[in-house]
Amino acid sequence: MKLQTKLTLFNTVSKLVIVLLFVALLPSLIKTINQNYTDNRLRKQKDKVLQVVHNKGIGYFIQDDEAYGSYTPLKEEYVSLDTVPMTEYRDTINDELRKMEDDTIIPYRILSHTFTIKNKNYLLEVGKSINTIGETSGPLQNIALEVLLGMILLTILADLIYSNYVLRPLGLIIKTKLVGNKFPQFGTYKKVETTTTDFEYLDVSIYQMIGTIERTFQKEREFISNASHELMTPISILQSKIENMFEQDDVADELKIRLLEMQRILNRLKTITKTLLLISQIENEQFLREDTIPVNTLLQEVYDEISIRLQEKNIECHIAVPADIKLIKVNKFLLFNLFFNLVNNAIKYNRPGGVIKIAAKTEKGNLVISIADTGIGISEAQLPHIFNRFKKFRQSLEQDSFGLGLPIVKSIADFHRLQVNVRSEEGVGSTFELTFPAEMVG
Amino acid sequence: MNVLIVEDEKALASELEIFLTGNNYLCENCLDGKSASEKIATNQYDFILIDLGLPDYDGLDLLKEAKHNNPEAACIILTARAEVFDRIKGLDMGADDYLPKPFSLLELQSRMQAIVRRKFGLKHTLVALGNFSIDLTDRTIAFNNALINTITKKEFDLMAYMILHKNRTLTRPQLSEHIWGSVVNDDYDSNYIDAHIKNIRKKLNAYESPEWLETVRGLGYRINL
Repeated sequence: MKLQTKLTLFNTVSKLVIVLLFVALLPSLIKTINQNYTDNRLRKQKDKVLQVVHNKGIGYFIQDDEAYGSYTPLKEEYVSLDTVPMTEYRDTINDELRKMEDDTIIPYRILSHTFTIKNKNYLLEVGKSINTIGETSGPLQNIALEVLLGMILLTILADLIYSNYVLRPLGLIIKTKLVGNKFPQFGTYKKVETTTTDFEYLDVSIYQMIGTIERTFQKEREFISNASHELMTPISILQSKIENMFEQDDVADELKIRLLEMQRILNRLKTITKTLLLISQIENEQFLREDTIPVNTLLQEVYDEISIRLQEKNIECHIAVPADIKLIKVNKFLLFNLFFNLVNNAIKYNRPGGVIKIAAKTEKGNLVISIADTGIGISEAQLPHIFNRFKKFRQSLEQDSFGLGLPIVKSIADFHRLQVNVRSEEGVGSTFELTFPAEMVG
Repeated sequence: MNVLIVEDEKALASELEIFLTGNNYLCENCLDGKSASEKIATNQYDFILIDLGLPDYDGLDLLKEAKHNNPEAACIILTARAEVFDRIKGLDMGADDYLPKPFSLLELQSRMQAIVRRKFGLKHTLVALGNFSIDLTDRTIAFNNALINTITKKEFDLMAYMILHKNRTLTRPQLSEHIWGSVVNDDYDSNYIDAHIKNIRKKLNAYESPEWLETVRGLGYRINL
């Protein structure tokens, strides 16, 4: 999940939880507020009544000990004043039930207060119907919910817009610096515009890391290139010396056999060096991709070159590739070497009397050329390492090699942006599949 | 024929000289570009072998001078810097051939001979071996004037190389370097030469035993002429 989605989702959920909690708590909150408000009002009314009593005397309300009572027309509120025995003392606010004249019973919030005037004890009651107290709670809750939901929507929108704005550099870093950049070719550095220091730091760090990797890569390549170049001259001198010695008439045959051994070893050194040099030249893009060649012609050339090996091992090679398929914008020399090495491996690791099948098919516009052998196969554990230089896994065979065949294949394939897939089963055979992108097929 | 060898590696230069002198060329050695430039300006050569990696001189400049002062000379570039671009550049500037180091002396000689054949416009280099006649220009082999078409390209290459270096034992590494030189693969054995020779013998035996194709035990093969 993307960071922005996560942030927005979290914001929405957390706000929703808080709002729902608040709305759920609202009734009890409103009840408490209402009660406090009502109680205050009742006390104020009490004070007013007492003020009236003080100013105008108790007689204003009570004459001949007859109780006083006053209701609002709908009986939401009432005030009553009555004489009570001297022993009674009250100063409370309680919820109580009162029976009305028409025998209805209504719950009231009632303030009871006793006071004494001229040896007479009076009880003052100020009441407010509880139903009228709670009646605002419902609408308030609804309004609160609506308003808050509206506010949530607004804040989510604002969050979305802002997070989108603030996270844009991150997206840009991911898109331009990481995704689609094929290691180790990263192209040129373009700074991502941002005011967020974290992203700036990230951007610069990625750039520096890529730079370090690239430099290390470059150094390795240069080293291999220089080392193999430097080796060429001494090898050349040795080769010439051996050849000249071989020519001398006074050299005995035994010595010549030993010279031949030296020549063979020198050849080995030469091949390794040349191969490393070739790989480094491919990696340094020192070849052109300007040739157009029919696949069949190329495979036929490989076949002609390699037929002696097929014959030696009595291996059948079937090439089933339509004659009209052409490869364009390729390097013929390199592709020849690629196929040569693949077919050579298919021979080398095949059983005597085995079969090699070279076929072509079209998949989603791409051309897939497969080379399948009936050889010893490659174990699953070895499969990820077969393109590594100097890794020799299948050494038990009589034919010796030094583990550079598949690395050449890999670098040539990478140079042409071909995909190489390998399927293999031990004891049954291996299939190498090369996928040529549609734009290279004509 | 006169050869100027411009090579700063003394050991290699002297081996080249030994080899070419042994093959009846007249050699002069130059270990640096400056003296080579002077020699090119005053003397006439048939061949100029130029190492591109000279410490004091750009090999390609030297090539330009050679083309100017020694228009008759065939220039062969020798270099360890076998970069593709160099190769194109060198041939564009009029080099007659190009040999990346390390190269076999036999290969150098066969390239020089090929240049001579080209230069003198030899139409047909016919070689008679027993009742076989081999045309190195048309790359054909005939028996009593009837063309043999069973010989493959590789097999002909092998025979032609041995004819070029007639009466000389060629080792398997030398032969395989010649016929598989352009292929970069990871085998270092050259057993396939034997298979090729076997095939050649078998094919020619259908006409006449090729007594001239000799196996030199433990060493290699030679064609006696």
